[in-house]
Amino acid sequence: MNPQWHLPQELIEQYAGGRLGPVQVMSVDGHLARCERCRAAVPYEREWLAASWERVEDLVDRPRTRPLARLLRLFGVPEHVAAFLAATPALARGWLVAVTAVIAFAVAAAHLAVRDPQAGLGGLAPFLVLAPVLPPAGIAFAYGPRVDPVHELQAATPMGGARSLLLRAVAVLVTAIVLTGAATPLLPGPPGLTAAWLLPALALTSATLALSTRFSPPTSAAALSAAWFGAVVTGAELTGDVLAPFSPEAQALYGAAALILIPLVYLRRARFDSGEPRWTRP
Amino acid sequence: MDPTVTVRGLTKKYGRNVVLDDLTLEFGRGVTGLLGPNGAGKTTLLRSLATTLAPDGGRVRALGLDPEDRSQRTELRSRLGYLPQDPGFYPHFTLFELVDYVAILKELTDRRERHREVRRVLAEVDLADRATTKVRRLSGGMKQRLALAQALLGEPDLLILDEPTVGLDPEQRMRFRALVSRLGEDRTVLLSTHQTEDVAALCERVIVMNRGRVAFQGSPGELASVASGQVWVAGAAPSGSRLFWRTSDGRYRSLGAGPPGAAPAAPTVEDGYLLLLGEPVGTAK
Repeated sequence: MNPQWHLPQELIEQYAGGRLGPVQVMSVDGHLARCERCRAAVPYEREWLAASWERVEDLVDRPRTRPLARLLRLFGVPEHVAAFLAATPALARGWLVAVTAVIAFAVAAAHLAVRDPQAGLGGLAPFLVLAPVLPPAGIAFAYGPRVDPVHELQAATPMGGARSLLLRAVAVLVTAIVLTGAATPLLPGPPGLTAAWLLPALALTSATLALSTRFSPPTSAAALSAAWFGAVVTGAELTGDVLAPFSPEAQALYGAAALILIPLVYLRRARFDSGEPRWTRP
Repeated sequence: MDPTVTVRGLTKKYGRNVVLDDLTLEFGRGVTGLLGPNGAGKTTLLRSLATTLAPDGGRVRALGLDPEDRSQRTELRSRLGYLPQDPGFYPHFTLFELVDYVAILKELTDRRERHREVRRVLAEVDLADRATTKVRRLSGGMKQRLALAQALLGEPDLLILDEPTVGLDPEQRMRFRALVSRLGEDRTVLLSTHQTEDVAALCERVIVMNRGRVAFQGSPGELASVASGQVWVAGAAPSGSRLFWRTSDGRYRSLGAGPPGAAPAAPTVEDGYLLLLGEPVGTAK
């Protein structure tokens, strides 16, 4: 509806020049909303108006930054990488809660076990055995058609394949190490022994990635975790010491394995891409 | 017109099951329809072209790029829009978040430009006013439009759409046709569908696949003409015809040899498609 009266030119100029008080501005705004003729008489810059609307739309539509993305931004991670990592299934709240619960359980079990004079420091074994499995388990839930509903879309983008998997694997590994590392000082044992999960974790993680160039990450993580549990039990039975798999000699072995496997993963990274040919052209 | 996509001797097997059998085809700018029965290998072909699946043998060239080569595959992906058959989404994301996430995957790193692009594609599929709705609250048709929106990000030169009209109501299908025909004016669109009406309405070229091979390549008119002189209309159910069905006006449309007393009828794309594949006897449709 067009009103019967219109804004005087002098008032329009004062309005456009920003020389009116708030009450007068609201009154003029109210009139402009109903009066096409007066709207046409108010000078404005089209580009400025379009940019203003875009800013308003962006404020309304843009997604809220997820807590994990905010945290990553604090550490200087670029906005788009932080948003990408925050969508990682293995970094979802449920997963983080589950990992924290497993670590808390293992720490509590260690405290209860060391009270038994017969168990002694051997009570740390459940924690030391479980902790290295957490990063491979995270990688199993980080990438692939079975665990990520958006995988097929992702695989057809420039970020598909090695870039996505390795970025997410690093994020999962760092998260698992930070959570487990935070629990380590709470363990009842000497610092050297309580941190004995770190090198096995690195070795298992790099082995999972290396095997994922041939099999899916969940299959690789499951197979290697089972092999790890089997090796620990066998090692303990053969030596009669539950902490034998965490001895300095064993640590050297885990370190060497990680040093060999990490370059291998880098060399074979193209195999993470489902679009990479598995055959050689004759 | 020069082909923008060429496929030579493409092969893909799952165990003993040959899904693509020495497949050779090519198509250029405009909208190309891909027809075929379930299990014909359409989705496998589309996944190979979209670089999400490596074939066992053969060659693909798309937009002049070789997906076998890692750097060319990455470049192809940056110029590609892909709507898979069963696109998955994060249900707890809003539409804006989801499309924004795919835009990040497509390396649109500048946030302001990326958000502008997200709004553009949501508006293209008429979902701009749903930008803050959670994906889990969408109907099937809306999810399909969302899947199409993400495929349009970055104005891709090659659009691969696997059954994009599934779940769309008639009005949305009309809008979809208008959008795809406009997109096909200056880029290459490959559209897999079971809807022969979509092919007749949209496509300049049609490819029919059967059992992992190309059964036909040509224009929709040429596909219809496969049934020339073999489409009949009669007042009663024909006894000797291989394919017939009762139409809305109560008469019987049949394909094949003309039954006694039947009048010839103009063939459609669907008639040509059915005759080409030699489907078994149908009694009603």
